[in-house]
Amino acid sequence: MSGPELFALLPVLILAGGSIVWLMLGAFGLGYRTIVIGGVFSAATVALCAGLLPPATVEVTGLFGTGSYARFFTILWALAAALTLLLSLRYGANRHFGGGEYTALTLLAATGMALLSGATSLVGVFLGLELLSLAFYVLIAFNRDSAHSAEACIKYLVLGSVATAFLAFGIALIYAASGSFHLPEALAGVVSNGALHPLGLFGWLLVTVAVGFKTSLVPFHFWTPDVYQGAPAPVSGFLAAGSKGAVLAALVPLLAGFGPDWALLHPLVVGLTALTLIVGSLCALAQTNLKRMLAYSSIVQVGYLFIGFLAGNSGGFEAVVFYLVVYAVVTLGTFGVITSLSGSRAEVQDYDSLRGVGFRHPFRAATLTILLLSLAGIPATAGFIAKFGIFRAAIKGDFIGLTLLAVIASLVSLYYYLRPVLVMFTENNAEGNTLHPGNELEHAVLGVCLLATLLLGLYPGPLLDLIHGLF
Amino acid sequence: MEQLLTNIFFYILASAALIATLMSVTRRNPVHAVIYLVMGFFALALIFYLLGAPLIAAWEVIVYAGAIMVLFLFIIMILQLAPQDLPAAAGYGRWLPALLLGGTIAACSVLLIMTDPLASSRLPSFYAAPRAFGQALFTHYALAVEAASLQLLFAAVGAWYIGRPGSRKGAK
Repeated sequence: MSGPELFALLPVLILAGGSIVWLMLGAFGLGYRTIVIGGVFSAATVALCAGLLPPATVEVTGLFGTGSYARFFTILWALAAALTLLLSLRYGANRHFGGGEYTALTLLAATGMALLSGATSLVGVFLGLELLSLAFYVLIAFNRDSAHSAEACIKYLVLGSVATAFLAFGIALIYAASGSFHLPEALAGVVSNGALHPLGLFGWLLVTVAVGFKTSLVPFHFWTPDVYQGAPAPVSGFLAAGSKGAVLAALVPLLAGFGPDWALLHPLVVGLTALTLIVGSLCALAQTNLKRMLAYSSIVQVGYLFIGFLAGNSGGFEAVVFYLVVYAVVTLGTFGVITSLSGSRAEVQDYDSLRGVGFRHPFRAATLTILLLSLAGIPATAGFIAKFGIFRAAIKGDFIGLTLLAVIASLVSLYYYLRPVLVMFTENNAEGNTLHPGNELEHAVLGVCLLATLLLGLYPGPLLDLIHGLF
Repeated sequence: MEQLLTNIFFYILASAALIATLMSVTRRNPVHAVIYLVMGFFALALIFYLLGAPLIAAWEVIVYAGAIMVLFLFIIMILQLAPQDLPAAAGYGRWLPALLLGGTIAACSVLLIMTDPLASSRLPSFYAAPRAFGQALFTHYALAVEAASLQLLFAAVGAWYIGRPGSRKGAK
């Protein structure tokens, strides 16, 4: 690696270096709060670095991109890590989290996400994905006093390892068919005369399984509700926003590089997307636990995103990137409200425990309401613009049936998104007030998420232009 | 001729590896499973050698069949996983498959050494020579190596954090 390459990679190096530094300082006995705030500062430094220092090269050793697309997502994931750490400040201290390990793993997960989003080679995809998965295996089980956490970790670990095996095998087959790990060559190599090489096709099927697992596409979604429920709330938010988002962000240049040949895989993906929308919506309807409902809703959201991928060549890829940003902000905020309402022992999960929150904690109840409405895609929120972009691309790309299905799924989603809202605002329950009043810092973080959601909903132009410039 | 010989070796070794790993995941006695796994590693090592990567073949044996297997056995012994109450399979059923597989792999390695189909093969066996390999690893793939080592570091940290003794008040 040369100097310019190292300089181009500087933001990711700071993330990884920061991760190790805070781990070491934790080992030397620095307190939880100091380390977590330090981690927030290093993540913010990374975002500044990535935004202000123009990269000298667009690719490092043929593995990872450092161009504007990679930089964009480096900033997004670094900020997501910073918000996650800020939200964990009280939550983690109450539960005696190890500060060094927690901060280090969060930054490591962000490193993996940044690398994965910018990967330009199948090796890069594999390494980035494993880096972030490994961080999450530990983060999910981070609350050592909770049996649910341990259960979630085992489920994610075992299924995740199987998915990794699928990914490795798929990459090997694509390599065998094309003779290259580097994405443009690997993609061109599996297609000959307008048909996929059999080995290449099989390789892509295996990669689809792995991607389907990581993004919880039906029928690879079974882990999602249990893991979201069992993991500590800030980690669930980061997992939903980042882990999924980074995999999908890596798919964008990959499928865009496929060009018109991407249509060869369409029948399979159309089927999976339709299944995801239907199963996700139906399961979400029956939930009475906020975290499980959000898990199923995240499955449906992935269905919308895949419609964007299908319609990629008619503007869908840009819509997907915008959607990913919005989804990250909204999801972090939603799980942030759960974190902030949770006291030192149990988390707020059941709808029953949300009774009357709207009267006692109006700010956070209102925030949660607006974020849920954004997930449902109500106008004036960012979710509307994001969904609108996807549907517009889908109609342009002639996926009328899927678009109709997605619109119906959106209508159905109003029911399950409004249920917790109704519980919060209609039933006042004076006794059993176990909800934490929260602190100023948490309110400020939630305020940032809320503001971003409304701002992107009312004035999305600058971000849309920025994303347009990435392609 | 050499190509045919290489192909025959490959198919024998590949089926040996497949059978060994299949046996490994279906055995109920963990020690037996480990034995089959080792055979799978040996068969894989010979396949790597056939492909012109003697260095990888040596590592497969040293690292996987050597170190990882010892680790597995240690864990089985420490956790006392070897079951006492399994019904013993009828006599030869217990050791015959292992013996057959082991015999096949041993015969293949002896034959490989005697015939050495690689000597006249078109495959550039120097491709995976130690020097070239090391240079590729620490120049072109340096970033990948660093990413993988970060993973290993944090796997150790994570295992320690989750597994360390200490308060587990709410754990059921």
